[in-house]
Amino acid sequence: MSLAELQRMTRGRGEPRVKQETPDNKAALAFLGPWLVGVVALTIGPMAASLYLAFTDYNLLEDPRWVGLANFTRMLGDERLHKSLEVTFTYVLFGVPGQLIVALGLAVLLDRGMRGLTFYRSAFYLPSLLGSSVAIAVLWRLIFGGTGLFNSLLGAIGIPSSTSWIADPDTALATIVLLHVWTFGSPMVIFLAGLRQIPREYYEAASTDGAGPWKQFRSITLPLLTPIIFFNLVLAVINSFQAFTQAFVVSGGRGGPSDSTLFYTLYLYQEGFGAFRMGYASALAWLLVVIIGAFTLINFWASRYWVHYDD
Amino acid sequence: MRLTTSSARRTAAAAASIVVLAGLTACGTGSAPGAGSDGAAPELSEEEVTLRATWWGGDSRHPLTQKAIDAFEEKYPNIDVVGEFADWGGYWDKLATQTAGGNAPDIMQMDELYLASYADRGALYDLERTAQLDTSGLDPKVLDLGRSEGTLYGMPISTTAFGILANQDLLDELGLELPDTSTWTWEDLSDFATEVSEKSGGEVVGISALNNGYSLQLWARQHGEALFSDGSVSISPETLAAYFQQALDWTASGAAAPASHQAEMAGVGLDQTDFSTGKQALAFSQITQIPAYEAATGGATLEPVKIPSEDANEAKYSYLKPGMYWSVSSTSEHPAEAALFVDFMVNDPEVGGILGTDRGIPSNGAVRDSILDGLAPGEKSAADFVAAEEAYIGEAPEITPNGASELDTLIARYLQDVLFESQTPQEAAEAFIAELDGSIQSANQ
Repeated sequence: MSLAELQRMTRGRGEPRVKQETPDNKAALAFLGPWLVGVVALTIGPMAASLYLAFTDYNLLEDPRWVGLANFTRMLGDERLHKSLEVTFTYVLFGVPGQLIVALGLAVLLDRGMRGLTFYRSAFYLPSLLGSSVAIAVLWRLIFGGTGLFNSLLGAIGIPSSTSWIADPDTALATIVLLHVWTFGSPMVIFLAGLRQIPREYYEAASTDGAGPWKQFRSITLPLLTPIIFFNLVLAVINSFQAFTQAFVVSGGRGGPSDSTLFYTLYLYQEGFGAFRMGYASALAWLLVVIIGAFTLINFWASRYWVHYDD
Repeated sequence: MRLTTSSARRTAAAAASIVVLAGLTACGTGSAPGAGSDGAAPELSEEEVTLRATWWGGDSRHPLTQKAIDAFEEKYPNIDVVGEFADWGGYWDKLATQTAGGNAPDIMQMDELYLASYADRGALYDLERTAQLDTSGLDPKVLDLGRSEGTLYGMPISTTAFGILANQDLLDELGLELPDTSTWTWEDLSDFATEVSEKSGGEVVGISALNNGYSLQLWARQHGEALFSDGSVSISPETLAAYFQQALDWTASGAAAPASHQAEMAGVGLDQTDFSTGKQALAFSQITQIPAYEAATGGATLEPVKIPSEDANEAKYSYLKPGMYWSVSSTSEHPAEAALFVDFMVNDPEVGGILGTDRGIPSNGAVRDSILDGLAPGEKSAADFVAAEEAYIGEAPEITPNGASELDTLIARYLQDVLFESQTPQEAAEAFIAELDGSIQSANQ
């Protein structure tokens, strides 16, 4: 390989490029092939199809019929949609910060080099592996049901209760938010990795200057961890808007009681497969894409004001 | 480089549109081979034929059905039947998706809620176009419940009646005796259910709310109305409000469990319901569920009794509901063989012996009589109840129209709104009718 070639390869994007020889492209395409087929057939294709269906009346059994913007105007007066947005936003608003705070707190504790760290790390990570599984959602029913573990605990400390927390419209959503917070494992592991990157000298210097643990956390850990917090936040917001399994299992697929756990995706599913309104469900899916996109953009925009990068 | 990017993009776009087009063409079912209007009956093939049959059900149903399929294959060696099954919830998702993808099974178990939704959208085959299916063994009133707009799209497999199951052991323990249930009124039931709750000190409740389409239809018919007429909702808001009010009254008086407990129980399986676990003395049920509840209660004595009426059953409000149907896909390439299979499953006494009452009391009278002697006591009392119900049967109702397949979940949802008092019964009734009618209209545009 000549020096000129090497330079060309390592040059930045803005540089003018010399036309490459064709064999390289073929090889690249061959390697990209499997991925490309997957993306086109399994992601772009269905997405394009659902974009088309969003403008049709499609009941799965007959051909889709073009209806223009009717599905979108229908959204304006759809009370259950508004209810599902309320439920989902509440979930994101409480679930995401709750989960990140717990994850960060435990990561900081674990990072102190305590004994048996690997064990605790695995133990705390476990709920994340199980959390979105059907088994855990079933377990949640048992814990927060009328005769569940939670009420037994309350009884043991002198507050007898027979409320079914998962079946009372006022508390059902809170139990699912709690389930979400409980699955703090993956952000915690990422926080742990981030904490490891912070040079120990900073803390040594700070404690020489007389800074206590809280001051150190505020002035060193938190600022240096902001890129990791940002990363976790973006992922958590995107995932939370798409929450489905927990709500589906805890409420038996109905979003009950009284639509109090009617998550957006659950409503979308009910409309598409329950009521045979796949055109409307497709439109709902695209509204969700827009909502998630908007929140992600806002996140990135706001990050300029609070995320610190080393360089 | 720039050149290759744009050409790759073009390739990707072309590939994407091919996928989309392929998806769209697969959606249509109207131009299916069997659905043509040429009128000629399809004929049996001499060659090897493979059929796919699909059904929902519990674990006990699958081996029984497979045995019936084996018997069919033995009788018709050139036909191979491949069985597929799922539980109730997954079944409808799968069936809708397969049908949308142009990959519907030839033969499918169908429910009254969905029959018109599939039939009116051209997904089902007119069963009377085939010469292979004999419908003469069925009561016309039952057979008519397999028709949508006059065409037979579903062959009723079984019939069932709606009633109340009383846990006799539990009542004996409490020292209570049912009043005369042959002519009892709704008030008699309310009083008795409240007495159960009081006498047991809250350990056992009397009853739980009516909460499905079958019971709402009977309620409407007792009030001289019908749930559906001419393809739209025809129950009056007042009658529907009374239906919701009844549930609210029971919760308030303690005859039924508190709202949050009933909500928690809404999603559980049959074996976890209060009635199954001995915490409820009376339960509304399709009478043919007796064997299932017997198993779940660990062998309690369950007595089937009539639901109350206000006029000592003067008005003939009752009807036997097909437990389920066999339907044939309009896209099936072998409708004649599929109809032959349906005929075998419903009319053949040998198969009747294999299946027993797993899908309910057989709709075919001769098959029903042939299995009566071999029935277990619980199955026998269900069969006797259904036979005795004949005396109260009126005109067959209209089946659930296209677009109203969500009827049962809608009732459950509005009932919760009422029980949690976020809506009054009257408000709920009006909103319910508006929502269901809107759903029917948008499906029939």
